[in-house]
Amino acid sequence: MKPATITPGSSKGEESKFKRLFIEIWKYRMTYTLLLPGLIWLILFAYLPMGGLSLAFKDYRANDGIWGSAWIGFENFKYVFRDPAFADAVWRTLYVNIIKLFITFPFPILLALLLNELRMRRYKKVLQTAFTFPHFLSWIIVSGIIINVLAYDGLVNSFLALIGLPTINFLGSEQNFYPMIILTDIWKSTGWGAIVFMAAISGIDQEQYEAAQIDGATRLQQMFRVTLPNIMPTVTIMFILSVGGLMSSGFDQIFNLANAATQNVSQVLDVYIYRITFQSSTDFSFSTAVSLFRSIVNMILLLLADRAAKWLGGDGLFR
Amino acid sequence: MGRQKIQFKWGYNMKANKMFSVKSLFLLALSVLMVLVTACGSGGNDAATGTADEKNEDGTYANNQTISYASVTDVSKANMDDKFHKFFTDKFNITWDYNYIDWDSWPEKMRLWINSGDLPDFASWNYVQGDAMNYIDQGLFYKFPDDWKERWPETAKAYASTGLGERLEEKVGGTYVLPKPVYFQNQPADPLLNQIGVIAIRKDWAEKVGFELKDAYTVTELMEFAKLVKEQDPGKVGNRLIPMSFNAGDLLTGFMMANNEHSRVESAFYKGEDGKYVWGPADESTLTGLKLMQQAYKDGLLDPEFYTWKNSEGGDAFKVTGISGIAGLGGLASYRQDMDTAMKKNLNLDSSEVVHEALIIGEDGKYRNLEQVNFWSSLIFSPDISQEKFERIMDMIEYSVSEDAQRILNLGFEGEDWKEENGELVSTLPEGTTLEDKYPGRFEGLYVLGDDFSVINPAIKKEFRDRSVELYKEKASLSTEGGAMADYDWDFQLYTSRAKDQANFDYATEYANLILQPGDLEANWKKWVESKQSLVQPVLDELNSGDFASK
Repeated sequence: MKPATITPGSSKGEESKFKRLFIEIWKYRMTYTLLLPGLIWLILFAYLPMGGLSLAFKDYRANDGIWGSAWIGFENFKYVFRDPAFADAVWRTLYVNIIKLFITFPFPILLALLLNELRMRRYKKVLQTAFTFPHFLSWIIVSGIIINVLAYDGLVNSFLALIGLPTINFLGSEQNFYPMIILTDIWKSTGWGAIVFMAAISGIDQEQYEAAQIDGATRLQQMFRVTLPNIMPTVTIMFILSVGGLMSSGFDQIFNLANAATQNVSQVLDVYIYRITFQSSTDFSFSTAVSLFRSIVNMILLLLADRAAKWLGGDGLFR
Repeated sequence: MGRQKIQFKWGYNMKANKMFSVKSLFLLALSVLMVLVTACGSGGNDAATGTADEKNEDGTYANNQTISYASVTDVSKANMDDKFHKFFTDKFNITWDYNYIDWDSWPEKMRLWINSGDLPDFASWNYVQGDAMNYIDQGLFYKFPDDWKERWPETAKAYASTGLGERLEEKVGGTYVLPKPVYFQNQPADPLLNQIGVIAIRKDWAEKVGFELKDAYTVTELMEFAKLVKEQDPGKVGNRLIPMSFNAGDLLTGFMMANNEHSRVESAFYKGEDGKYVWGPADESTLTGLKLMQQAYKDGLLDPEFYTWKNSEGGDAFKVTGISGIAGLGGLASYRQDMDTAMKKNLNLDSSEVVHEALIIGEDGKYRNLEQVNFWSSLIFSPDISQEKFERIMDMIEYSVSEDAQRILNLGFEGEDWKEENGELVSTLPEGTTLEDKYPGRFEGLYVLGDDFSVINPAIKKEFRDRSVELYKEKASLSTEGGAMADYDWDFQLYTSRAKDQANFDYATEYANLILQPGDLEANWKKWVESKQSLVQPVLDELNSGDFASK
């Protein structure tokens, strides 16, 4: 008997396609149900608010709401680009975050590799907890601690004075601001960032290590020849995601550690958006225009990083 | 065969997960629905109704009203059932739904509430002209009935004293905002200048180092005193000594405004002699102030990290830790009283013996300050407020303006907290106790600000009140006799534009940053002025275009 042919695009074909999809979903309904809360969260808090981006092209009036406010084209962007502080903030954000990315990014990988080499489980757990703990402190608390420790009459300067060395102006120096930002970021986020790489390491097939040991590989050789290549896809994805956030990271940290003396080096885009939204007269359309610009640059950077990763032979985010 | 297999699998799963499939999915759907309903809810505001507030035959209010109010008065220590709070809730038959707003988040929180339609029944709002025009235009504030001034005449008188209320009315065609009067019955001087620009000097230290006490000093003279304090350490505080405990805001007032009355945000754009608007921070006199600031910093007269100080840290070094010789104070008698209390409590010092108040004058000998517009912050009402609630609140405001209420609000209850002797008000509170100690979190002084009563308030030492009035009078005479007072330019202040909003700078931070920059200060200042031109020039173009005042 000749099997019935289904022409793609025909109504019968479409029906069959949907039916197959439904059967698939029903078959894995447990998995899909688990997916549902995340999906709903994503729709509610990530996709629906995107409608608000239309404010960038509107003259927002609260009583007309987001949808009812009048369209004004690119008028808001005209004002955005007129402000020299905006261009400064864009370049400064990229500068700070690129430096931060290249310096801080390897630390979680390194920590994960080192923790993986520890054989005493209890010691390993203690260390992991100690490294992860700072992540749970808010930047307000961390900055309070840092300011107290690095102030002229703080712990560090008191110690320097005690041993006869000159005190250092940590908080009011533009030269010291970025190192302070980078070091505090490493201290706070390395432990948390290492969790992803630890998870990737735990997924490596143990037979590879056994084979390496039989071949006479040392611990260091195993680390660099087995562990690192196996976690490279995760490293690549984490790197691409980090590049995608280059224009938007670090508000809490920079806002809380900055002061009048470091104003010229601390005015990143997020601080700029905060200032124009809350410290001057209210202009939600204007700040949305700046945010939209930031998101577009972030997206371009993400796509470029993805392309670069593929070009270099690695895995990208999009297949 | 394959088909059978699938059917078998389905049957197995359905049996094993029957409960999960039906109930769990239903609950999940219900949860999602609840989230959506909550997210899309309107907030449940009272709709505006046309019902008037009902009263009993004896004039008391028939219905209890729950009234929501937001302000920056901290009520964390308040007992809402104490005699003070109960007096007002009983008198007006209300239940408070009080929303405390932290000082630092006040502007942000109010903006979010106003824009999202979540404003309480009424709130204390730090008036911003551009925002006010925008909000009124959008119907985000309640519009007062046309006859409100006849119905609440005392409130209307206080409202008229602010100057702003009626001017704004002309512009927007009705009353939407009640600016709060700083002074109503007890204005200390005429013309009235801003209370800022009064400093406190350690009198005992000045005597020890041989520094002459005067009513007004130039910045250079103050720096000389600070240098003497630094060299001789008359208070024996060692390396904790901060000769001048000024934060960035104090420096703006003390160093910059003393030399250029147009160096601040309130008066930065002003009409020059030729009638054209100019930008004050670009004036040469700004550089004079900046040079002095930098000199003071380089000479170690300021705290090396003054720029990290928050609001009260400068003053605390003077009145709490006692390690400073000069601090910003302000001209209100209540500030002086607070300083007295703090010094007694923390340093066991009688401030009358050790504090001298003075003004700062420019290097050219001229006194400079801002004309004090007679309002600070305002009251606004939710556009959804019911007529009953609005009338009840207005009745409370009307009462709060009266002399009787002012005495209760500022002194407490007659016979218990104060008495009248030979026509003078006398506080009977135990020595060292304030009304705030007895009745914490008093927010019921809804309209006229406490500054007015502070001029006659016996809870504040008479010598502090007298000195405060004396300094107000001195400011008035200095500014009219050869000094310079930055006029409150109503045309400019009531004018709104996007360019004006964009050219709004935090001058205290900007100046502090300039003096901390390496390199030549004059070159840095010129570069800074140049960098601001792309935002400043459009405002000047608008202001000098002629008809801006009508916009």
